[in-house]
Amino acid sequence: MGTLLSAIAFGLILASVIAIAGMGFTLQFGLTNVLNLSFGAVMTVGGFAAYLARDHGVSAWYGLAIGGAVGAVVTLAIGRGLFRLYARRGAQLLEMIMVTLGLGLVINYAIQAISRNNIYQFNVLQSAPLHLGAVTITPTQAILIGIAVVVFVGLEAVLRLTKIGTALRAMAAEPSLARSCGIRTGRVVIITWLLSGFLCGMAGVVYIINSQSVGYATGELFLPLVIAAALLGGAGSPAGAVAAAIVMGVVTEVVSAYGGPQFSTAAGFGILVLVLICRPRAVLGDRGRETRLTL
Amino acid sequence: MLSSWSFYISTLVVYFGVDALSGISLNLQYGYAGVVNFGFIVFQAVGAYVAAAVTLGPSGGVSAFQHYVFGASLPFPLPLVLATAAGAVLAAFVGLFSLRRIRRDYQAAVLLVVSLIAFQVVEADVPLFNGSNGLVGVPRPLQSVLGLSLQGYQWVYAGWVMVLCAVVYVLVRWLSRSTWGRALRAMRDQEDAAAGIGLNITALRMQVFILGGAIAGLSGGLLVEFIGAWSPDAWTYAETFVIFTAIFVGGVSNYRGVLLGVLLVPIVFLQVPQFLPQIGYPGLTDSLQWMIIGLVWMLCLLWRPQGILPERRNLAPAYLTAESA
Amino acid sequence: MTAREPLLSARADEGNAGRQPAMAARDVVVRYGGVIAVNCMSLDVYGGEAIGLIGPNGAGKSSFLAALGGQVRIRQGSIQLSGEDVTRLPSYARARRGIVRTFQMTSEFSGMTTLENLVTAGHGAAGASLGSVLMHPRRASDSDRAMNQQAWDMLERFELTPIANALGRELSGGQRRLVEIMRCLMRAPRVMLLDEPLVGVAPHLVDKLISDLKSIRDEGIALIVVEHALDVVRELCDRVVVMAMGAEIASGSYEHVVTDREVQAAYLG
Repeated sequence: MGTLLSAIAFGLILASVIAIAGMGFTLQFGLTNVLNLSFGAVMTVGGFAAYLARDHGVSAWYGLAIGGAVGAVVTLAIGRGLFRLYARRGAQLLEMIMVTLGLGLVINYAIQAISRNNIYQFNVLQSAPLHLGAVTITPTQAILIGIAVVVFVGLEAVLRLTKIGTALRAMAAEPSLARSCGIRTGRVVIITWLLSGFLCGMAGVVYIINSQSVGYATGELFLPLVIAAALLGGAGSPAGAVAAAIVMGVVTEVVSAYGGPQFSTAAGFGILVLVLICRPRAVLGDRGRETRLTL
Repeated sequence: MLSSWSFYISTLVVYFGVDALSGISLNLQYGYAGVVNFGFIVFQAVGAYVAAAVTLGPSGGVSAFQHYVFGASLPFPLPLVLATAAGAVLAAFVGLFSLRRIRRDYQAAVLLVVSLIAFQVVEADVPLFNGSNGLVGVPRPLQSVLGLSLQGYQWVYAGWVMVLCAVVYVLVRWLSRSTWGRALRAMRDQEDAAAGIGLNITALRMQVFILGGAIAGLSGGLLVEFIGAWSPDAWTYAETFVIFTAIFVGGVSNYRGVLLGVLLVPIVFLQVPQFLPQIGYPGLTDSLQWMIIGLVWMLCLLWRPQGILPERRNLAPAYLTAESA
Repeated sequence: MTAREPLLSARADEGNAGRQPAMAARDVVVRYGGVIAVNCMSLDVYGGEAIGLIGPNGAGKSSFLAALGGQVRIRQGSIQLSGEDVTRLPSYARARRGIVRTFQMTSEFSGMTTLENLVTAGHGAAGASLGSVLMHPRRASDSDRAMNQQAWDMLERFELTPIANALGRELSGGQRRLVEIMRCLMRAPRVMLLDEPLVGVAPHLVDKLISDLKSIRDEGIALIVVEHALDVVRELCDRVVVMAMGAEIASGSYEHVVTDREVQAAYLG
């Protein structure tokens, strides 16, 4: 029983990391329809930004905001600058995903070049571990779960209670209609890039706080989990991304505890595979409607 | 001096042949059928692993320091046959859940995720294919039987690879010009309309995926029997992009373009830096190469997505136009 | 069954007495998520007649056509082709049995020549599989020759042999539409579903296209045409069915339908 509870706790910690990234990804994807495979690379950029800040004496926790800010700026430049360039040349959904992949390669290996392919330590001072019944976690990990919860609540609040949030949801659902309703679509897209980019960069920092190290491949290892969570949860739905992240995180850790760590990754994705086999429409969406890029 | 050049060139010929097989497979899937196989490298990898495992002998025997499944000591050419079959079987399995009629970008993402999962699973699960250390000591086929010098053997092997490459090239080109090839292109251009004229899209997609997987498996088998070792480093997800970039540069949907692209990108581009003086710290060149591949890829998409050699236009056969002349 | 019985025009009356409809749809319901696009539509169409399907935007006409063609799965209702139930069949299976369609945006195969576009729809092509080509290469190439000839004959019939070698994307709007229609005809269909066939066709070609469609109809093929241009409908169709909000609100001859008050209200209100 103790093993199970422990596994669930670690699953929630992993889920928190996946969830923040997943919420950012699904926000971007839900509105613009771009499956942005450079998301992982930008997470790494955010992580390194926090690392550099820490090197200059800034506390690791402020690094969250710094990583987020860097992520936001980079994502805006990519989304509004680069992607629009391709969209103007007639790129469709498929070309865009290929562009994002190439971009991801460029960013990743640029980081590898600059970081000399090293892995850097990112230690956050640990206080005494917390004992919650049969489960032992560090305070840092508990804080990470807290951050994920705050992000989720905050994001949902923005989406449901603010004008810009409502505009975002309207545009994600029916882009052509939204324009004729007087919604300033350009502004909404910019805010989406900034917001999702912030979450992306912050997710990178959260990841390296949890793993205590940062290297050029940080984001790449994580990207498939993020995509899976976003696809499973439904494009554009932060709640869905969180739910999917929890399921994937818990299953991964439980399988790791009982079956062995070599199966844990496969198990996490096994869920995606199962859903794709049994209920493809849930993930793959309705083919009845034509989907366009909204940039 | 001459012998080291001979060694180097014969190695390049082998790599060219293997990459050409990869390019043909990917071009068939993407250029002709519109399947965006971002997980391509996984099919080459399974072929390489299976060929290695059935040549190294039973696990725990002579090779007691490495662990793997399917241990056997099969003679040439069985390992290649099994490698091809492994590629086909894996493709069938992956195809079952990832080839539904879905948006192409979703399909691409799913196939990419498959290759990323496979990578992490193989790295972590040591009993499978020896984890991140991979398999070493794969003997070269018929080396003792032929009794040639190292150089002689290299050229014979290069010749063998080119023969297989030519056979596959001719076969795939013929298939692409057949009724089946036309059906694939119809599926690529307008899937719904293709279904609307009676083409079974799901079946066609599976067929092209399996054939492509088989060729990829073959290429993996040939590669591992030459290099003698295979580990996860050899098949990161980015390797798929070298081949994609090659077909984008050379010409999508054009098999001669594939050969041109494979010559320009993996061979010329990735080999030339070996002769340049080293810049920066060791390993910097590798990072720069990957960055440039990414940039070339992005530029191709921006300026000339069809590649250098465009798709062939299939003119009406003479016996038809002669009538009305 | 709907409350109204379709009022058949005189021409259809004589020909259809005692005949089985080429296609019969009963109580078809199409839902997209929570939205009901087609609400219990029924329709009979006979060989040799052209039915116009009209109605205001959002009435569900294209969705109904998609249900008939198999592009969309229906949970309720049934579709019969000459008495055979095809409701559960996917679109490619329906195409092999004789239901073909054109799409709102012309769906020519852009990377293939006009001739290739037609050959792809030839009789031997539907069963094209990797296995059949590898196992029986001689048979495949023989059937290729036959289909090429059939396609060429089709091009000659429509006087379009000059564009045989033009790629799909090089054609004008009207030519694309004709290629789409010729491609459908290659399948020797029993029923042709046309979704706004005149979109993108230059005005001076419209008359020719209408007369082409009439001659197709006269060969015994059943046509269902979704169209907004009412004069085209009057010219081409023997019978008109009006849809609004997913259901039929009127049907009969063009004159009858156009003067119906409910129809006028649906278009204006």
